[in-house]
Amino acid sequence: MSKQNAIQLSGVSKTFDGFKALADANFTARWGEVHALLGENGAGKSSLMNIVAGLYGPEGGSLFIDDNPVKLKGPKEAAKLGIGMVHQHFKLVTPFTVAENILLNLGHIQTSGLYRERLRRVTDDIRAMAARIGFDIDPDARIGQLSIAEQQRVEILKVLLAGAKILILDEPTAVLTEDEAERLLTTVQGFAREGAAVILVTHKMNDVLRYADQVTIMRAGRTVKTLKPDAVSVDELIRLTVGESPAGQDASPGGRVPGEPFLRVQGLRSTGGRRALNGLDLTLNRGEIYGIAGVGGNGQSELANALMGIPEAVSGRMEIVGEGDLADFDAARRRALGIAAIPADRYGAALAGPLSIADNFALGDIHSGRYGPFWYLNTRAIEADAAEAVRQFDVQGVRSLKQKAALLSGGNAQKLVIAREFSHPPQLVLAHSPSRGLDVKATEAVRERLRAARDNGAAVLLISEDLDEVMAMADRIGVMSAGRIVAEFSQPADRQAIGQAMVNHV
Amino acid sequence: MSELALRRPLINRRYTLELRQHMAWYWQALILGASLVLGLLVSGAILVAAGVPAGELLNEFVLYTLFDAQSLKSVLFQASPLIMVGLAGCLAFRARFWNLGLEGQMIFGAIGATAITLWDIGSPSLRLPLMILTAMACGLLWAVAPVLLRLKLRVNEIVSTLMLNYIAVNFLLHLMYGPWKDPKDAFPYSPKYESFELLPDLPGGLSLSIPIAIGLAVLVLWFVSISRAGLYLRFVDKSPDVARSVGVPVARTILMAVLFSGALAGLAGLMVAAGQEGRLTHSFYVGYGFSGILIAFLARNNPIAATCAALLIATLFVAGRSLQVFYQIPFAMVQLIQAVLVICVASSDFFIRHRIRRVQGGE
Repeated sequence: MSKQNAIQLSGVSKTFDGFKALADANFTARWGEVHALLGENGAGKSSLMNIVAGLYGPEGGSLFIDDNPVKLKGPKEAAKLGIGMVHQHFKLVTPFTVAENILLNLGHIQTSGLYRERLRRVTDDIRAMAARIGFDIDPDARIGQLSIAEQQRVEILKVLLAGAKILILDEPTAVLTEDEAERLLTTVQGFAREGAAVILVTHKMNDVLRYADQVTIMRAGRTVKTLKPDAVSVDELIRLTVGESPAGQDASPGGRVPGEPFLRVQGLRSTGGRRALNGLDLTLNRGEIYGIAGVGGNGQSELANALMGIPEAVSGRMEIVGEGDLADFDAARRRALGIAAIPADRYGAALAGPLSIADNFALGDIHSGRYGPFWYLNTRAIEADAAEAVRQFDVQGVRSLKQKAALLSGGNAQKLVIAREFSHPPQLVLAHSPSRGLDVKATEAVRERLRAARDNGAAVLLISEDLDEVMAMADRIGVMSAGRIVAEFSQPADRQAIGQAMVNHV
Repeated sequence: MSELALRRPLINRRYTLELRQHMAWYWQALILGASLVLGLLVSGAILVAAGVPAGELLNEFVLYTLFDAQSLKSVLFQASPLIMVGLAGCLAFRARFWNLGLEGQMIFGAIGATAITLWDIGSPSLRLPLMILTAMACGLLWAVAPVLLRLKLRVNEIVSTLMLNYIAVNFLLHLMYGPWKDPKDAFPYSPKYESFELLPDLPGGLSLSIPIAIGLAVLVLWFVSISRAGLYLRFVDKSPDVARSVGVPVARTILMAVLFSGALAGLAGLMVAAGQEGRLTHSFYVGYGFSGILIAFLARNNPIAATCAALLIATLFVAGRSLQVFYQIPFAMVQLIQAVLVICVASSDFFIRHRIRRVQGGE
């Protein structure tokens, strides 16, 4: 078992739309080890691995495979070099069978022979490989009939049959039950023992402690440290993952006296198949920012949807004190009450990309009759208001108000959303990852707006997977895990304690 | 390198496709116009192949049809129900509701109007307005079931509207061969309408249906661009998920647009019955449903463009009829030409959305 380097990345950086996803990241994984890449959501783990898999081109730095410098032109070339990545969102054709999916992926290897002949050969290969690594998979089953765990096994078989020696698993246990996760990680540990290199991208402390030989910790686009997991305490790992408060960005001082309760959520529960929300309670007061921290996928999106009026099947109460249940309010009522929503998915839930800036802006005040009666749309009034808001909220890149909203950059699109939502002084602000994908300047502008709303007496709910953001902004912090608030902290809060609460309940 | 590329035959050069973000409207119009011209040229070639002398074609199509006062009148006359079904298509499609039931709604519109004439409801002076309102109401009612099924139970409207067409057609045949048959002869017609039940000609000889059609085109234009519903409709059309999230009353908007669409189709039925035939016949609706969809498609759901497209299709209808008389060209040829035009316009979309670029040098 040689212990030379399988992958080495040094000084890699990558920028998306002005946002630095990776900054001078260094990473080395050796043959024969399970190497965990640990970090919070948005720390840059997936971006780094997508560079290894040839999906993104790096902007700086160098990549070595097996100690040879390489420049990948695409995922096919990465596959040829023996790199296989299992993505968090599976890339399988649902109506096809297992064998057909795998054959599709082998296009560049098996080019000879009739289709049926090749399918038969692949079927045999799948059986052999599955037997060898202890997977129970029927090659003729259709993907749509398989469970999530089985689909994941198909993905793994797919990259192994394509000849992968370096196996990258992106959050493989996020969708699995305890038992399934254990089986999977034991299996991949087996690959490493046979000499392969396995990279486990995860934010779960348990996975790291039990299965990884090495762990590299990432935070805010940088690789913080590489060490052996059994050489450090859990507390130390948590400290490295969540970090100290970044310099110059102190935690919110605390000591504020919040106003009366404004929003009371009681027993909020998902009614769909997955229990994403599981009896969540929280009370939000006027004049405070309540931050919800937590590892992604613990029900934050579902909570945000339910509160913002985005279709989501839930039961329970979301009471605006003295007014009634949020779920019963239509858009006009929400606007009249001053409820502002800043969803995480800008172009999926807030702005219609193909429509003009003016059209998008108009929805903010369309119900009040300010823009004319039902039969007449006062375009002039809309454009005058929109122009004023664009100026006031510093939305840049607007050549004309008739320009499509999709042409705005991320930060400016977010500013447009806020401009619309804040066109009346808001009473309740619901913000979900409001600075995701924004550069430093835009982030600060967005945060300033939220603070100003709070100072004017609004109740602000900030749901964010970025602990730094929550620490910097919130007056009170609730930690969300498995669909409920499991701990609450008042500022000044102990970062370690919050980090502990985030991971302990996973 | 470049020399090599030059020597290579055109077809062997490499091209790439790029998605276009935006294209100026005049370029879009130019591409659209060019594709229409191409479609007309192909259609001309087909007609020549079918035995129409090439010289006569121009004569027949352009000069006779458009520059003869009488036939221009019949083009406009023919255009009005087509404008109605075209607008009906535009409205429903803008709400992302694939209303393939234009014919069914048309049939019920005409049946409703005919019921008013047969049962002598209202005084002679009120008769025609009453017929118009009834036709619109019946067309609207025939669209209620599919839109509610879609909104409440997510029943696919393509299937439901199409199936309701069969019900409407068979109900019409039942009336025409049964209770409503003209007792004077054995044909499947209703009795002739009274003179005050027909859409009158205006001074100058134009049928009243033409100003009605233009008026409604303006009304639809107002609805989709100047009213608040138009703003909602744009959201429903372009980003249905966003619409739902930002508080657009999606269901109400779809309901309104589809019912409006049904009412217009019902009115188209009246225009054919009380404008052209003077009675209800067993096959008056044939081809209008398809034409309505096609006009809306050619016009990209724009009401003004739909009016123009309806005029184009009406010209085809009228010219087709004279070709039929003089050259024994079957009327199916008109439908073939329609299809060619649609294919050309549909393909032009590709050039509007993509940019084709030659790969410089290289492998």
